[in-house]
Amino acid sequence: MSRIKKMLLAILIILIVIQFIQPARNTSGQVLQTDIVKVSNVPQSVQTVLKTACYDCHSNNTRYPWYANVQPMGWLLARHVKEGKTELNFSEFGAYSTRRQANKLRAIENTIKDGTMPLSSYLLLHKDARLTETDKKEIINWALQAKDNLEQNKP
Amino acid sequence: MKTIAIALMMSSVVFTACDNGNNKSDENAETNKRSASETTPSSNPNAEATPIEGIVSGYLSLKNALANDNSKDAANAGNAIVEAMNKIDKSSLTEDRMKLYADVEEDAKEHAEHIGSNAGNIKHQREHFDMLSKDMYDLVKSFGTGQTLYHAFCPMYNDNKGAYWISETKEIKNPYFGKEMPTCGEVKEEIKQ
Ligand code: HEC
Ligand SMILES: [Cu+2]
Repeated sequence: MSRIKKMLLAILIILIVIQFIQPARNTSGQVLQTDIVKVSNVPQSVQTVLKTACYDCHSNNTRYPWYANVQPMGWLLARHVKEGKTELNFSEFGAYSTRRQANKLRAIENTIKDGTMPLSSYLLLHKDARLTETDKKEIINWALQAKDNLEQNKP
Repeated sequence: MKTIAIALMMSSVVFTACDNGNNKSDENAETNKRSASETTPSSNPNAEATPIEGIVSGYLSLKNALANDNSKDAANAGNAIVEAMNKIDKSSLTEDRMKLYADVEEDAKEHAEHIGSNAGNIKHQREHFDMLSKDMYDLVKSFGTGQTLYHAFCPMYNDNKGAYWISETKEIKNPYFGKEMPTCGEVKEEIKQ
């Protein structure tokens, strides 16, 4: 067997073996009382956009796509979910302090304006998560409004 | 014989190259150390005026770095703030201050961390600086600082919604726009120590 053939075989074996290392899933299956839709007045249209475009990485419930079963892509997704949830978890939004809630709303506004979210690597495989100009406007308006409400209701 | 000679020459070249490399990195380490100690807050002879002194001084160097459009210095200052926050002895605080600090802590640290990890993306650093400035104002008001500070406002940042910052000088040096609009803004409040 030539060296190239041996190398290819080795790579193939590695690829097969890593398929058995599946990361833990992020699917609690329930909507917590602290979910942002329970604690803030989120218009239906914005809820839909957040759920399709953001909840996969920023909530306790990821809808796993086919490629989550293919390593190393599944690992990459698992890392995004882990990092995304530490930054902002819509499922636990209600448990944040008022200060943190206000700042997260601000951060949402910023990421939408700057076009940094959803992550571009995610958009490659999730065409439905691409935000239209209307989606963006609606999210920004809601975020601004929700932040004003928070500041008015401050204890 | 010839090959041995060549091998010797080669290896000596390699060794000297290594040596140079080492010297260089030593020098770098030295300069790093020096510049680090220059920016540390403890140079203040009146020492320990307030438990948040390290945080405030990190914030002020951050503000100055942003006013100079220097994203890398801003990142270093962000990391310095995180370090200063990790050093705070929370159990030594009075009850009121402890409560406020607990409220601010997680939030402010996150902003400082993001500023630290976003060298090269000054726009994003400024977004976090805006939010961090609010946290700092609350801290400074409650803890005092040992020096007079100024609460300044720039009405144009953030799509004309405006943004505050804290400065050690009355003179305006805008951290949100940097050299693009250095004097935009005005002092709204003098925060006496
Ligand atoms: C593929 C996963 C993924 C998706 C989908 C996603 N995010 Fe993120 N998000 C992340 C990760 C990872 C981070 C942390 C690292 C970073 O900032 O790049 C993050 C960070 C953030 C932050 C903090 C930004 C900061 O630096 O201050 C906000 C706010 C945010 N996301 C909002 C959203 C919103 C709103 C959506 C939907 C429109 C969304 N994200 C969709 C993965 C994702
Ligand atoms: Cu950030």
